[in-house]
Amino acid sequence: MIRLEALGKRYKSVEVLNRITLTVDAGEFVVITGRSGGGKTTLLSIAGALTKPDEGAVYIEGIDILRLPESELAALRNRKIGFVFQFPSLIAALTVLDNVLLPVAFSDRSPNRTDRDFAESLLEQVGITGKNALYPSQLSGGQQRRVAIARAMMNRPSIILADEPTGDLDETTEAEIMNLFQEINRRGTTVVMVTHAVDYAELGKAYVLKNGNLFPYEGAALPASAARGATAAAPAGSVQGEVL
Amino acid sequence: MRQIVYLVKQNLKRKPFRTGLMLGGIALACAVLFAAAVLSKGIHATLQTAAERLGADIVAVPSSAGEEALSALISGNPTSFYMPASLEDAVRKVPGVQQTCAQVYLRSLDAACCVAPVALVGYNPERDFTITPWVLRKMSEPLRNDQIIVGAKVISAVVGTPAKAVGQRLIFMGKPFTVASILEPTGLGTDYTVFLTMETAYQMIEGSPLYPVPVKQDQISTILVKVAEGANPAEVAGTIEKQLPGMTTYTPGLLMRSFSGQLQSLVDALFTAGIVFSVLALALAGSLFALSVRQRMRELGLFMAIGAGRRLIFRLIVLEAVCIAGVGGLLGVFVGFAATWFSREVITAMIGNMYMWPETAYFVRVAVLITVATLTVGILGALYPAGRISRIEPYEAVRKGE
Repeated sequence: MIRLEALGKRYKSVEVLNRITLTVDAGEFVVITGRSGGGKTTLLSIAGALTKPDEGAVYIEGIDILRLPESELAALRNRKIGFVFQFPSLIAALTVLDNVLLPVAFSDRSPNRTDRDFAESLLEQVGITGKNALYPSQLSGGQQRRVAIARAMMNRPSIILADEPTGDLDETTEAEIMNLFQEINRRGTTVVMVTHAVDYAELGKAYVLKNGNLFPYEGAALPASAARGATAAAPAGSVQGEVL
Repeated sequence: MRQIVYLVKQNLKRKPFRTGLMLGGIALACAVLFAAAVLSKGIHATLQTAAERLGADIVAVPSSAGEEALSALISGNPTSFYMPASLEDAVRKVPGVQQTCAQVYLRSLDAACCVAPVALVGYNPERDFTITPWVLRKMSEPLRNDQIIVGAKVISAVVGTPAKAVGQRLIFMGKPFTVASILEPTGLGTDYTVFLTMETAYQMIEGSPLYPVPVKQDQISTILVKVAEGANPAEVAGTIEKQLPGMTTYTPGLLMRSFSGQLQSLVDALFTAGIVFSVLALALAGSLFALSVRQRMRELGLFMAIGAGRRLIFRLIVLEAVCIAGVGGLLGVFVGFAATWFSREVITAMIGNMYMWPETAYFVRVAVLITVATLTVGILGALYPAGRISRIEPYEAVRKGE
């Protein structure tokens, strides 16, 4: 489904990703955790074709996306990937329903009746009813996040990439949102979520991103090399061994 | 495309103050430019018509008349310049001169003679070649002493109704006259001028102690000259000035250029204001637009993350600029038209009752030109931010917008 090969990314002199290799199979729920600013969002953005790595390769459903022209890359983001961001990502000028329909609007056609029905059913599934005509500013933070999840599901993507989707929510709402992701995954959609909260590691296959390297999550205790903040290549190899 | 238009519309609606500011700035600039163009064209058309209507190749006036002569010749304003009538014979003898016709301006300086401010001009119907060609109803015989030829607006100015009847009786300086014919409307001072015979004019000078006119029997105000076929009016005018010192000559072209110089400052001021407003409006709209794009960086990044291609983002931004520039331009044209239309009486009064409203086709041309120019500038202004943001990676756009 997703294969990242020896990804490297630097911001000025800081090495954010150090030759990371990761494979996510179809239907998996992958959680990547780590400290804030550790490169989790960058890794997710590369996997979702939002940015390019300095080195390495990215395959989605076997396609080397770094070789795709921009128009095809946009189409891939539109059809195969649904994004849920860590910040409020609804378009303020559009109603709830129009926000959910946005991925259809960016495809090759205009939303039709069927699309509207599907959008409304998605909103119902995420617990938003009777608010289709409201604007994002009229919703709570949790409701906005639910609408964003519905929007991510609109084009029936095979992959959902979620970047800290519960970062600023209260505990109850956070749990509800996580349940939604689990439900989405149970229905067969691959979910890759990055979060700084290690609590969700048990939801699926979990990894820790530390100092540019990716390690399998082994409970509360991190691998000794990760705990020391080592950047040696060995840990990455161990991840490869497990995931591949 | 429908979706892009919808997104643009929603975005413009979201920030009504900013959108209003951009629209207002552009509209104001376009309105001033439109008004300046219309006024300029009207003045130009007026001067051209005046030159054609003058009917003479040369107009000779006393040198002492100065600017007053220009004002009188074009707009029919009150005058007090005179010269000996014998000069007409002298001018007629100048080589290249075919025909002359003297005129005397009778209008009292205090205008107390008449109900409305009209100019009285005496002329010689036997020698005339500048008035009778422009009458609406041809006259079978020369003007009699008890008759007058009036400008298009004289009757309505004096009687107070828009009557145009030949045969109407009017009284000037206590003397009754019958309207023998009416001149075609010009938009110039001629529209408010009453033409009577030179003989009657001199009788009125003698017989109107209540309405003193600063002119004597042997004086005239202007000499209208027709040059012989093949003669150069400018050369003949030069000869007249050389042979008859104390006399200044104007050819119609020179006359109009001299007079337009007086109006040029008004047109220049309007165009300057239009250009200043345009620069300010474009700077304002450009800054606000660039700010808007920068503020929406995350939103545009989100669009890309959801699947909007770079081309779509580019079109989205350009279309937004097109909408603002197009609507602002049209609004400005409408406001400019309304402003010039409702102030046309004021404009006419400002430039001596001689303003000619341009034809409809000109309005349409200017409206289209200003709208197209505004659209072009709007599109050009949007190209840079649109091009810049459409080259940014979605991730970078989202992060820069944070």
